[in-house]
Amino acid sequence: MPDTSVMIRDTAKKLLDEKRVDLIIGFERGTLPLCSSPCFTRRSEEAERLIWNASCENNLAKYLRRREEKVGIVAKGCDIRSIIGLIKEQQIDREQVFIIGVPCNGMIDRRKIEAKLDGKEILEAEEEDETVILKGRDFTEAIKKEEFLHNSCKTCNHRNPVIYDVLIGDKVEENQGFDEYKEVKEFEAQSADRRWQSFTNEVSKCIRCYACRNACPLCYCQECFVDSSQPQWIGKTTNLSDTSIFHIVRAFHTAGRCVDCGACERACPMGIDIRKLTKKIEKDVKELFHYEAGVSLEDIPPLATFNPDDPQEFIK
Amino acid sequence: MKEMKIAKNEVVSFLDSLIREYKVFAPVKRDSFVVFQEIHSGSEALLDYANSKKPPKEIFFPQSEVMFAYSLHGEGLGIEEPAFEEKPRVIFGIRPCDARSLVILDDIFNSEMYKDVYYIDKREKTLVIATGCNQPNSTCFCTSLGGGPFSRDGSDLLLVDIGQEYVVQAVTEKGEQFLKKHSEFKDVDEHSLSLMRNVIETAGALIKSKVETEEIKEKLDRMFDDPFWDLVHEKCLGCAICTYLCPTCHCFDIADEATDHRGKRIRIWDSCAFPMFTLEASGVNPRPTNKERTRQRIMHKFKYFVDNHGMAACVGCGRCIKECPVNLDIRAVLNSILNR
Amino acid sequence: MGLKITGVNQMQEPREKVDGWEPKIIAFLCNWCSYAGADLAGVSRLQYPPNTRIIRVPCSSRINPLLILRALQHGADGILVSGCHPGDCHYISGNYVARRKFAILNNLLDYLGIEKGRVHFAWVSAAEGKRFAELIKETTEEVRALGPAKELVKKQD
Repeated sequence: MPDTSVMIRDTAKKLLDEKRVDLIIGFERGTLPLCSSPCFTRRSEEAERLIWNASCENNLAKYLRRREEKVGIVAKGCDIRSIIGLIKEQQIDREQVFIIGVPCNGMIDRRKIEAKLDGKEILEAEEEDETVILKGRDFTEAIKKEEFLHNSCKTCNHRNPVIYDVLIGDKVEENQGFDEYKEVKEFEAQSADRRWQSFTNEVSKCIRCYACRNACPLCYCQECFVDSSQPQWIGKTTNLSDTSIFHIVRAFHTAGRCVDCGACERACPMGIDIRKLTKKIEKDVKELFHYEAGVSLEDIPPLATFNPDDPQEFIK
Repeated sequence: MKEMKIAKNEVVSFLDSLIREYKVFAPVKRDSFVVFQEIHSGSEALLDYANSKKPPKEIFFPQSEVMFAYSLHGEGLGIEEPAFEEKPRVIFGIRPCDARSLVILDDIFNSEMYKDVYYIDKREKTLVIATGCNQPNSTCFCTSLGGGPFSRDGSDLLLVDIGQEYVVQAVTEKGEQFLKKHSEFKDVDEHSLSLMRNVIETAGALIKSKVETEEIKEKLDRMFDDPFWDLVHEKCLGCAICTYLCPTCHCFDIADEATDHRGKRIRIWDSCAFPMFTLEASGVNPRPTNKERTRQRIMHKFKYFVDNHGMAACVGCGRCIKECPVNLDIRAVLNSILNR
Repeated sequence: MGLKITGVNQMQEPREKVDGWEPKIIAFLCNWCSYAGADLAGVSRLQYPPNTRIIRVPCSSRINPLLILRALQHGADGILVSGCHPGDCHYISGNYVARRKFAILNNLLDYLGIEKGRVHFAWVSAAEGKRFAELIKETTEEVRALGPAKELVKKQD
């Protein structure tokens, strides 16, 4: 949306000119249709590149850790909840980050569109208010944005920034009246055999590129468990058992920390449904420990604390 | 060069007959993408597709490959050699860019200095039947790297789609011998040949994405300490997508996996994008940050490989461009280098 | 022999269900309560099936889910994790924190389709020798009924 882009640019230029930040991380136009790319601007002329549209899908909070300088970040709701997570885990200082909060109506999933077009290549895409006009070699098609949103956007209930230093534009309406755990429940209703088949079928596509891990702002261990070799937890080949454990444990490590931004799923080149696991864990954390990640700077992460009355019917 | 033709509606039965004699690999639909897999019936093969998600290099250089197995027993140590290919193989439907990548991989795995038995076994036993690209994608830039939508490098046979039929070009002696043995291939008439020439010319013009790659190496020769590298890497996540999906990337690690008294030595793909790639036992890492690793990737493909092998380690297939989660477009990087 | 092998797992390869197959169960017991409880069972000459191998840990909170998953990968047919009763942890709150981890892990494994009855959790105190023996009997029979582990098993391919 042009207005939002202009507001972001103006804000960024002002911040850089006034030296209130040394760096602004935002989005610029990508080299492919329906694609934008993380952008690092340090001078106000560079801030002219900043844009905002329905393809700004990356979680830029990934780029905040281990910086000396003061950073401004163009962030949507999910990115900001990741930032809250990083602050709580003492990975970044609140004072070091200037949050340019942008209310978001959801980001478009290019892959869903490509699936609908069944192999026809998109050569140009023009975004309008509610639709996107797609042009290919011998076709033009208009699609409704809300039908092609990322799955994590469809179940988002924090479209507006939870915290921010400046808010771009007006707040948007939050998603109402839907069950964010519908898919988890549908999966739970299947037989154990079906579920295991389904899970292994998904992870058998994995090529162990670790894009999911690297795209996640909350995966920041100096040495990831997959890289330890003496002793070795899991092998490095694409063996199904090792790969299954990689995904189970990575999901487990996000328990109580994952904000369901969807960056993992978007990064995966093989289209693995990674959120199938993380969303289940998120549901359990909410139901068992009444905790939601990334909404408060004060509450204690659920696996770092306890309640004497925690559920334990599963323990003999 | 010998040319023949085969009717499109005979391809499935042709593949069926091949399957009786050969292990046949063809593009196959898996969920929302295409991969090269062994097929057991001709109808599994996808004839109309852009390109596979994973490059067919994995047919010759698998992601995990057992080099040998060992076991300890009463009398001592037993070594089990790897199973080499028993049946001859055919890879059908590979794109010219991916076929060219085999030429590059040949220079690594089958050179004077080093002969990789695992790769060579597969490569020598495989007949490569490529299908040219009538409609290249917008991310294809093969012509900038010495290739093209109907390049013959690396294949034994090249199929050109002229509508109801394919014209088949025999690129190698092996390919020609193969044509003689299969009656589905018929003599081709001048009309078909002229259609073929049209298709080839049109396709070449359809490649819109171009990078002036001839001058890149000279620029890179002087750019090792250029501050350009401080900025190029910033958005890179350091995952292995570009390396694993690249048809020419060939770096590997060797891992031993043992259980009690038995074990295997396994070769696995590795990526220069990973921090541990150059981590030495002493703890020193000559490529400590993403900057050095990104610089290395570009320099390797467009300078070091040229220095050592006379060609760039890139075939312009566009996979890294399509799949990079942060849209780090190698064409944009190369153009920036040209403008330094 | 003179040949040094590093990185060798001491567990056997996964086995097929053949005549005479016996389940192999790995028990992670906390040093202060559950391990002492097991010890009491021994000293009291209480009989229980020999299928369980015990690994002593300082506290139930030391248990990393990777330990459980890896055991299932490499030959364990069943897992038992046991610690002090809530409120009695030698390290005050270790078992409380562990309880949360176990809840998430238990639900996740069940969700993915890992058979119920493979992974068990218990609180056993140092005075509960008899209960420990009963627990082992129960767990062994449950795992025996399920047969050899099949889901996460790492096949030697």
